[in-house]
Amino acid sequence: MATISINHLSFSYPTEDGQKPLTLADVSATFPDGGFSLLTGPSGSGKSTLMKIMSGLYPKFGGVITHGEIQLNHTPISEIPETDRGQLIAMMFQNPNQQFAMDTVERELLFTLENQCVPPSEMMSRVDRALEYVEITALRHRQLNSLSGGEKQKVALAVIIAMKADTILLDEPFASVDPVARQLLLSKLAKLQHEEHKTIIISDHDLEDYDAYIDHLFVLNGTGNSLTLLNETDAQEKMAAFQRQDTSDQQLSLPTKVDQPVITAHDLSLTAGTSTLLKQPEINFFKHHITLLTGANGTGKSTLLMALSKLHQYDGTLLLNQKEIAKIRNNQLYRQVALVFQDADQQFLNVSVAEELALSLKNSQAAAYFKERLPGFLEKLQLDHLQDHVVYTLSGGQKKKLQILEMLIMATPVLLFDEPFTGLDFSSLQTIMAIMKQVAHDCHQTMLIVSHQLFGLDALVDYHVTLANNQLQYVEGLA
Amino acid sequence: MNPSLKFLLAVLIALEISFTSTWMVNLALAIIGLLIILTSRPPLKRLVLLFFVPLIPAVALAVAILLQSNAGMHFALVLFTRIYAYVFVGSAATLTTSVSDLVMSLEQNAHIPSKFAYGFLGAFDLLPKIVSEVNVIRAAGNMRGQALHIWSPQLYFKAILASLDWSENLAEAMTSHGFSEGAPRTYFKQIRVHWWDWCIMISSLLLLQIALFGLHLQ
Amino acid sequence: MKYSNAWHLRDIILLTLIAIFFGVIYWVIGPLYNVLTVALTPVGLGPGANDVVMGIWVMAGPLSGYIFKKVGSATLGEFLGSVVEMFLGGQWGASTMISGVVQGVASELGFTFTGYKRYDWFSLNLSVLTTTIVTFGWDMIRNGYSKYHIGLLIALFIIRLISTWIFSGLLVKAIVKLLDRTHLMQTQSR
Repeated sequence: MATISINHLSFSYPTEDGQKPLTLADVSATFPDGGFSLLTGPSGSGKSTLMKIMSGLYPKFGGVITHGEIQLNHTPISEIPETDRGQLIAMMFQNPNQQFAMDTVERELLFTLENQCVPPSEMMSRVDRALEYVEITALRHRQLNSLSGGEKQKVALAVIIAMKADTILLDEPFASVDPVARQLLLSKLAKLQHEEHKTIIISDHDLEDYDAYIDHLFVLNGTGNSLTLLNETDAQEKMAAFQRQDTSDQQLSLPTKVDQPVITAHDLSLTAGTSTLLKQPEINFFKHHITLLTGANGTGKSTLLMALSKLHQYDGTLLLNQKEIAKIRNNQLYRQVALVFQDADQQFLNVSVAEELALSLKNSQAAAYFKERLPGFLEKLQLDHLQDHVVYTLSGGQKKKLQILEMLIMATPVLLFDEPFTGLDFSSLQTIMAIMKQVAHDCHQTMLIVSHQLFGLDALVDYHVTLANNQLQYVEGLA
Repeated sequence: MNPSLKFLLAVLIALEISFTSTWMVNLALAIIGLLIILTSRPPLKRLVLLFFVPLIPAVALAVAILLQSNAGMHFALVLFTRIYAYVFVGSAATLTTSVSDLVMSLEQNAHIPSKFAYGFLGAFDLLPKIVSEVNVIRAAGNMRGQALHIWSPQLYFKAILASLDWSENLAEAMTSHGFSEGAPRTYFKQIRVHWWDWCIMISSLLLLQIALFGLHLQ
Repeated sequence: MKYSNAWHLRDIILLTLIAIFFGVIYWVIGPLYNVLTVALTPVGLGPGANDVVMGIWVMAGPLSGYIFKKVGSATLGEFLGSVVEMFLGGQWGASTMISGVVQGVASELGFTFTGYKRYDWFSLNLSVLTTTIVTFGWDMIRNGYSKYHIGLLIALFIIRLISTWIFSGLLVKAIVKLLDRTHLMQTQSR
């Protein structure tokens, strides 16, 4: 038995000047006992916040509940002692890299059982069973640092199983999980629900693959003030709409013989830990073109961009303008190639928006061009009134827009983008794509864009490369 | 040997030889340290490194004494052997103990609060990520035309911001895995202090005193 | 703002991460110390390299003191850093942990003398001074500085003071200023 009910909950991250803007405002819902629920909503709507309140981590680790409460089996979460919570509710996190305290898989499981004061004599059998359940007995003595994203999330699930938690919360758990591991995890979760009557709640903005598993679809709206359980018809419609959004019959052309390669790979192989991501005999990316790179999560798209930026080791040959990337000195390389990181915070170097823009302008390879156009760009992107703001406390969408803009200003000949459109609303997306297109044309840039979000991209990109089964391939269709 | 006592012994030896000037004892300690290191069968590369890394400060200190003081050859030799004793005794401890064993021993035997033990361990296990994050920060600087040097505040500023973010993630995850500050825990691996641990510790220290005193009388 | 002296799990993780970051930055950026030492050794001034880079070694201490504003934070920051360094195979072996405590206490004293009430340019400078004096005392013993001619001894002390002032003073102040402007530290549980 595990019913979670949210009663008129309001939650805030207080700001420095004492204000309390509400991240969640008066939301209510009941997650049915023994159900498999999916919580969806746009990026930045507060899904993650809500999951952390349900798990009891907030407000301990941040924010304040300004009104209402969450009850687990009719007891407010805040009144359940931290030491008892593990058997009631456990959580799998979005970032697989920072969720383990120990060095090996087995030790992490034991650490968890020790925390729960399980008698030592029972521990091994519980570890055995949890590892078998998720089919990762072979990983038992492996270093956690050597595992792929998918493997880490399997370990995280094994930990939860060993804890015997009644309710399992998963906060965007598949962001770096490959399709095979994702299917395995989903089927194991369904098995836990059906055979052991666990309550499963997953938050995800991506609805793919879920229709076979979920019983309930909850939607949190963009401003975090309405949480609704959709009825069956609406849920079906929403799932179907999501599938459609991704497909487009737009055709792109394939590279032609006259295209000049700027990046060339021969016998390139990329690995993460012990698993191979890419084995590519031959591929080119072409000068003054915008190429889209797609593929399932965890297949190595980001890793390829990191390798191109000399931030991930590779085997074989990877040439930028005929020079081996690994051998180009950093200060030379990064004048020719720059990466728009997936995590916007990694891009920033200063404190305020104005300082960030000033730095890019100062070192831009097309300073005059941007000096003239910057005010217009800022206005279009609705960043013009934010000059004095601290970049790290902007909203997710604002961060993304500023990050893309400041990297465009650098006018680096080859610009790589890792999921640049995450968290952007429709109009921002249109605007930023138009600016990217304009700048790429005017400054003769080559762009390589990794993106899940395909909507409207046909107007921006020239070529499309897919990554599947360790291979890159040019294709004509967009989806 | 019990990890906590092993490290305590290594530090006590290091402390004692810092205040004494007997190169033969330093040399003997370095040799004993080396023998213990060899039992752990380290890779050859590591072993070679172990000989070369202390060479730089050791030679520097010895040459400085010869050229810049009147203390003479004997004291130069003392400083030279002292560095090797430090490094070999220290490596004898670190190469034969995993960080997690040391942490578990510190928790169970030295009764260090578990939040210190596992907080340290959780952060230590992020080491490979920290190395790549430093590279990312420097690349991010270069991509914006700003080289970040060891004297650039931004380099440290960004490192601290990453630490803030990661510490929150890790603390939340550990809490979610049932860890609670000050709460009782059970131990799968009981780490005990045996009588022979104390024997090794005390007899080692006794031997050291006798050797130092004996050679001093000479 | 009131600061509690209790250490929570998150603080401990944060402190250790910062200590490791500082160690990694030192090693990734280049073996500055080794290059300097090798260059200076032929004229017998090799140990001077130690004094030139001293400020970099010890800056985690005052920075932790400043960030956490708790009793013992500077000491703990330096000590944890030294434990990490010892496991990574540093050049000073078993004496690293002793140096860690010495350096930590040394920079802590600056905050102790101001009663853990002042976290400003004055207490930072005081910390620079205590760090220089105490660590120099330790090197008189450990590295045999006490045997040097007085002229060299004074020169080394001044070099160390300048290095510590630049890194543990000026640079730490600049880092803290950046951090303060983000207001991100305040949201942390204290």
